[in-house]
Amino acid sequence: MELFDVHFQKRGLIFDPRTKLFTMLTIVIFVVGGYGTVPDMLVFFLEILPILLLLTVGKFKKAFLYSIIYGTAQASMLWGIAFLPETVRYIVTLFAVFIIRISPGMIMGAYIFSSTTVSEFMAAMQKMHVPNQISIPLSVMFRFFPTVMEEFESINHAMAMRDIRFGGKNAMKIIEYKLVPLMICSVKIGNELSAAALTRGLNANAKRTNICEIGFHVQDIFLFLIMLVPYAAVIFTKLGVLS
Amino acid sequence: MIQIENINFQYAETEEKALDNFGIEIQDGQCVLLCGESGCGKTSAIRLINGLIPHFYEGTLQGSCTVNGLDVFSSPLEQISRFVGTVFQNPRSQFFCVDTTGEIAFAPENLGLEKSEILDRVNKTVQQFHIESLMNRNIFRLSGGEKQKIACASVSALEPDVIVLDEPTSNLDQDGIKMLGNIVQFWKQQGKTIIIAEHRLGWLKHLADRVVCLKKGIIQLDLSGEQFFAQSDQELNLLGLRGTNLKSDYFCYESPGLKCIDKTFLEKQISNREYLFSDFVFGYDRKKIILNMNGLKIPEHSVVAIVGRNGVGKTTFSKCLCGIQKGFYGSVSIGNTKYKGKQLRNLCYMVMQDVNHQLFTDSVEEEISLGLAEVDEKTVDDVLQKLDLTELKKRHPMSLSGGQKQRTAIGSAYLSNRNILIFDEPTSGLDFQRMEKTAKLIQKISQEKTVLIVTHDAELIQKCCTHLLVFV
Repeated sequence: MELFDVHFQKRGLIFDPRTKLFTMLTIVIFVVGGYGTVPDMLVFFLEILPILLLLTVGKFKKAFLYSIIYGTAQASMLWGIAFLPETVRYIVTLFAVFIIRISPGMIMGAYIFSSTTVSEFMAAMQKMHVPNQISIPLSVMFRFFPTVMEEFESINHAMAMRDIRFGGKNAMKIIEYKLVPLMICSVKIGNELSAAALTRGLNANAKRTNICEIGFHVQDIFLFLIMLVPYAAVIFTKLGVLS
Repeated sequence: MIQIENINFQYAETEEKALDNFGIEIQDGQCVLLCGESGCGKTSAIRLINGLIPHFYEGTLQGSCTVNGLDVFSSPLEQISRFVGTVFQNPRSQFFCVDTTGEIAFAPENLGLEKSEILDRVNKTVQQFHIESLMNRNIFRLSGGEKQKIACASVSALEPDVIVLDEPTSNLDQDGIKMLGNIVQFWKQQGKTIIIAEHRLGWLKHLADRVVCLKKGIIQLDLSGEQFFAQSDQELNLLGLRGTNLKSDYFCYESPGLKCIDKTFLEKQISNREYLFSDFVFGYDRKKIILNMNGLKIPEHSVVAIVGRNGVGKTTFSKCLCGIQKGFYGSVSIGNTKYKGKQLRNLCYMVMQDVNHQLFTDSVEEEISLGLAEVDEKTVDDVLQKLDLTELKKRHPMSLSGGQKQRTAIGSAYLSNRNILIFDEPTSGLDFQRMEKTAKLIQKISQEKTVLIVTHDAELIQKCCTHLLVFV
């Protein structure tokens, strides 16, 4: 539930969904894929950027939690591993690298989900000329996941009441116990959601209006320019300007 | 005008006809109530009018259906949706957007109307429904009644001639129902044709112009509203319908606390022990206490109806009592035994409103013995016997009917020796016979256990409850 919790009254700094998607793309390219092609400082900035963005929409608790996780991973890479025995060092390195590379993308995802409304997303997709056949299913995700998470919470409560916990010989069974009711409820909700949307004229082939005002503002241009820096760095390196 | 002729329909996955030679003609501006037992075909009739049958729910279909001259079967859904708006039963799954404003604009947006026209319609609807304060909000944070109000508003923004409602009050409290009644009244004044499938009938007494009662997909009764509502509750019950003339003193929320409503309870009482609630206080932060049941005493073997408006803490109370509310440290004691915080999990068990959430395994037998350290077959068989589940013991819980699922969930509470059972809305959406069955089952259970029921169902309270616990 927390993840998708958009506060409509105090939304903080609003970015255009396209800016967010471009930022996401840049983070994925340079943090997950491209170590060594751009200066380390730049990569470091991209890694902590999602946390800063979370702060702009007032998700302080979440931002704090992620900085702790990321900080721990980064610190253990910089200073921790030197003191560890060799076998442990490999495991720690593995985990730390995994967290440092993967988590920025995930945090960015969390930021996008908790700061974008369905209408904004649809409007952005329309402006980018993404066909309805792709944008409608994607926008349903915004709606579907919070519902499924509510279901998941109920299932967890039911399991707590039955005193079914992780551990012991039942560990594998537990996953089954959680998934079976979750899947049955998800299918049911998915069906109800589609039926409701169809009776209100949602249709992939027709042209749809969108009343949501989106557009690029000062903050968008600012973020866009920053996001262009790593690409520029790569080009300049290739040209031999930077070395 | 809606014209339905000789419809025979059977869902793809079932063996019985959902609608059997069904035909009806509905004049413009009429308000029609469709009623009947669960599974009588009233929901299918609604789906026929809004085109979900045959465009979404597939099956074998004969006959014809036209709405305002538009042939429903050969027209695509998006065309039908211009004329027919639908309010569904479940508020959680009829929204497409996450924000209220986007939701009201959603249907007009799909029609591809001009932006200014859409904004006009949204503003007009907001004024008509007096929902200024609900605008720009996260739908997940609204109450059930507010959600249903937004659902009605978003249908209204589409400006359809026909509005169909499929059990719209299932999740509403008395205030919510009153609000919905006002909305239907408003639509009537606008001259809309309204068709409502419902099992709670009382609120439609002065709204329905015509009442159609179905049984097994066949029309049994087709009366004017006045004729229908002149019938006594006994006559209605014989048709499998809920009463309309209930005294609903149960829902006057003036005096909070526990009171006995069954005067014979003391005579029949098996024991005179009581559950004593102490430190039973909860709030998400220290300043704001949302629940205070300190000093409450519930007699053993009583059946307590928990009533109150939505959002006054009934759910939180149940969660605390089951020991699953984080940060709750209160306790309940009986005799010399005291259950505190998480230990309450050994005392109480909740049968949830959506019982699908609490069935995990692949057979009834395994389900009720899940989580037990030692399984004694004889005890298991005893419980199965008691709950009429012996013949179903090898079945997959998800393949059972609603009532059977409920009994399976109760079975697990029996086997784990919980002494307090909490039911969350056990009869929401049930017809008279099923409700009566549930009431009898609860009475039977109360001979061994103590039962608490969170409910808005006056008939259920009348049939089986001994006490009323009013939340304010």
